[in-house]
Amino acid sequence: MKDVYVIGAGQSPYGSFPDETYLSLFDTAFDSLLRSVGDGFSPGQIDEAYLGTLGVGGRQIGLSAPAVTEYVGLHGIPTTRIENACAASGYAFRQAVAAVRSGMADVALAGGYEVMTDTSADQTKWWLGVSGEMEYERMSGTTFAGVYAQMASAHMKKHGTTVEDLSRVAVKNHANGAKNEKAHLQFDCTLDDAVNAPLVADPLNLYHCCPTSDGASAVLVATSEVARELSVPMIRVAGTGASSGRVGLFQRETLTRIPATVRAATDAYAEAGVDPDSIDVAELHDCFAIAELLAYEDLGFCERGDAGAFIRAGETNPDGSLPTNTSGGLKSKGHPIGATGTGQIVELVSQLRGTAAVQVSDPTYGLAHNVGGSGGGATVAILERVEGRR
Amino acid sequence: MRGILEAAIYVPRWRLKTANISETWGQSTAKGIDEKAVPAADEDTLTMAIEAVERLFSNSTADRNDVDHVAVATTTPPLAEGDLVAKLRTATGLPANVRTATLTQHTASGAEALATAIDRDGLSIVVCSDYPVGIPATTDHPLGAGAAAMLIGEDARTAVSSVGWYSLDAPGIRFRTADSVQSLGITNYERETIITAVTAAMENTATDRSIDYAVLHQPNGTLPYRIARSLSIDTKKLSHGLVVKTIGDAGTATVAIGLLKALSEATTGEDTLAVFYGGGTAAAFNCTGSLNVSGLLDFDETESLTYATYLRQRGYLGTEQITGGGANVSLPTWQRSLDSRYRLVAGRCPLCDSISFPPDGACQTCHERVSFEHVPAEREGTIVAASVIGHGGAPPEFTTYQQRSGRYAAVIVELPVGDQSVRVPAQLTDIDTDEVAIEIGDTVRSTIRRIYEQEGVVRYGVKFTPNMKNRQTD
Repeated sequence: MKDVYVIGAGQSPYGSFPDETYLSLFDTAFDSLLRSVGDGFSPGQIDEAYLGTLGVGGRQIGLSAPAVTEYVGLHGIPTTRIENACAASGYAFRQAVAAVRSGMADVALAGGYEVMTDTSADQTKWWLGVSGEMEYERMSGTTFAGVYAQMASAHMKKHGTTVEDLSRVAVKNHANGAKNEKAHLQFDCTLDDAVNAPLVADPLNLYHCCPTSDGASAVLVATSEVARELSVPMIRVAGTGASSGRVGLFQRETLTRIPATVRAATDAYAEAGVDPDSIDVAELHDCFAIAELLAYEDLGFCERGDAGAFIRAGETNPDGSLPTNTSGGLKSKGHPIGATGTGQIVELVSQLRGTAAVQVSDPTYGLAHNVGGSGGGATVAILERVEGRR
Repeated sequence: MRGILEAAIYVPRWRLKTANISETWGQSTAKGIDEKAVPAADEDTLTMAIEAVERLFSNSTADRNDVDHVAVATTTPPLAEGDLVAKLRTATGLPANVRTATLTQHTASGAEALATAIDRDGLSIVVCSDYPVGIPATTDHPLGAGAAAMLIGEDARTAVSSVGWYSLDAPGIRFRTADSVQSLGITNYERETIITAVTAAMENTATDRSIDYAVLHQPNGTLPYRIARSLSIDTKKLSHGLVVKTIGDAGTATVAIGLLKALSEATTGEDTLAVFYGGGTAAAFNCTGSLNVSGLLDFDETESLTYATYLRQRGYLGTEQITGGGANVSLPTWQRSLDSRYRLVAGRCPLCDSISFPPDGACQTCHERVSFEHVPAEREGTIVAASVIGHGGAPPEFTTYQQRSGRYAAVIVELPVGDQSVRVPAQLTDIDTDEVAIEIGDTVRSTIRRIYEQEGVVRYGVKFTPNMKNRQTD
């Protein structure tokens, strides 16, 4: 199999943009991507595209991905739309990597887009939580806030995790996102703010839940031959993993882990030949604060049950042993569902190139972790900076 | 002798004091009523009937498969058209070939159901379940709720020996227009007409007036006394069956619940008279014997509502329908899964013996594609994960319910299946989440409630009630 390199990554701002469409947002992301690749590359080199979206709001329910590639002038290339809920573009990235590895493509585009804030309140409510298990879980009156709240309740009961631990995730991610000019919620919050916000689904309050956002992101992966011709640092896709799980939380063997994450991480670490200690920076799927804490454990960053202590000790702060969500994460940077997975790659590329707004000191390995729903799907990607700028 | 073999009652947990009504309106038409029972936002006459029947069997040695007739009486069916007995039968796992009957239209419909069961052979279930709805300013004041279920057959502990009837045209006395109970308030005419009918029905039984207890038509707490005096029945004999004082006027269920309560306090050989009246028809039953009745703790385990909460809970204040629709579980898919939704039917894997819920798709433990053996989970289980859903956290199809019920708890319950267990996501009900903390490890018990409504079709399914153990038996 061929080695695969990330030659560029870009995103639109995340936020609420009533003047934009999913097409124009992707156009912005694509511009940002091309600037990131730099000179010596032409969009005509792109052989194949994989784009993730849930399709919130309806709009172009069928064939929205070809509509996007045609809109940005990638005329005629094979384009596949991927829907795996919030992990849509994590999976799109994996498919693009597979296309290059297999030799089917020399350059493949992975990306995602979502517009979530321009519909009526009723329409928005309709689309919330449509990726939960519909027949029983949703019919118990839950959207994802409720399901993640149930996971939080079980983790708190089993491991003594506290509301303050959950709130520290918000404080950290907002502190990072406040410095990210493309983040949706660019403000700091205090621990007091985050502990005392209005309840959404007990024990989760407003500060334990990510926003709904508009946005798009795009990444290019290519063969080493293509990458070497460019003037940007070489970032290798060291490993990818993906796994599925029961869509309903009640159907899984555990309430305090996301087994799909564990399996995806195991595969990604094995393929990269590294262990969790090697990871220097990570973008984690913090749709709800408990999700970031579960990810610490599921990805092997800390022992089972120790996630609360791990964040309390500051290990995941930018100056800690394993900085997480330096972009602001889903909580502060925002969560335009289909764009989130490749949006995480955008931050890792910035970190590995040394150009991030909240820059970690000289990282070699970056990890991106993207979850669909409450764990029906998950991807883990590990990127490696293999040499400096040439 | 044919009569009542087993019985159960169900009265909703919530109560509204008449004092609160008087405080709000300056007066009350709920004469002789201290407080009335109020259904939760997810209850209706079908769910109350189901709960009463489940209680009946929870304490019974009778086999559901032997039942061949189910009659349900209510003045307030959940839909204007449609057989609620078919839903009741499915929800309670009774045989599909039972003869069904829905009696409605007037508050003596319970008498029609009971008399039909007494007059036939075989094993019958009779249910009287009701919560009439009125105009909040006036006719609503006395209206309460409740259900009674009786198993009717041979060799009964309580023999029903004599039934008498009388009917007359009685224009303008308690009637219901399209959506609410009306009354013209012509009290003297009303009283005289009712007393005439009741007296005649009683005289048409073989009952003499030396009965031990009397359970008389009780749309309020004063009329039964007037009827008793007119019949020369000692009013002391009314007290055991005068349930209207604490549950309100539960339509056709009031006399049935009162009868069961009186029978539970009677001793062998004592005679109890029950007289239904409704819409011009009166029917009197003479019952001899006593009875164990499940659910009597519902008279004691109650929680009070404020008048504002009452109006909100019952939907008088209006609710919002989300136009975006909701999660679409198609009706055929819903129908196919009813055994799991009503009776927690799970699947045992023939290969690895583990349990999956729902019993569909590959085994959730060994992941083999198997044909599951269907096994019902137990009705009582333990909370293993819990959340209280605030207004930002509810799916749109639950908006209407949440506006009536307030914040609700969504939990995952672990239920035993043999020596194994299975997990089911569900809501808690009959609990004020502002007052009561929900803890992992709490035990809960299943009940059937309205889940949500889509395209005018109510979807019923399982919810769980906390601390129901004490409510289950007398």
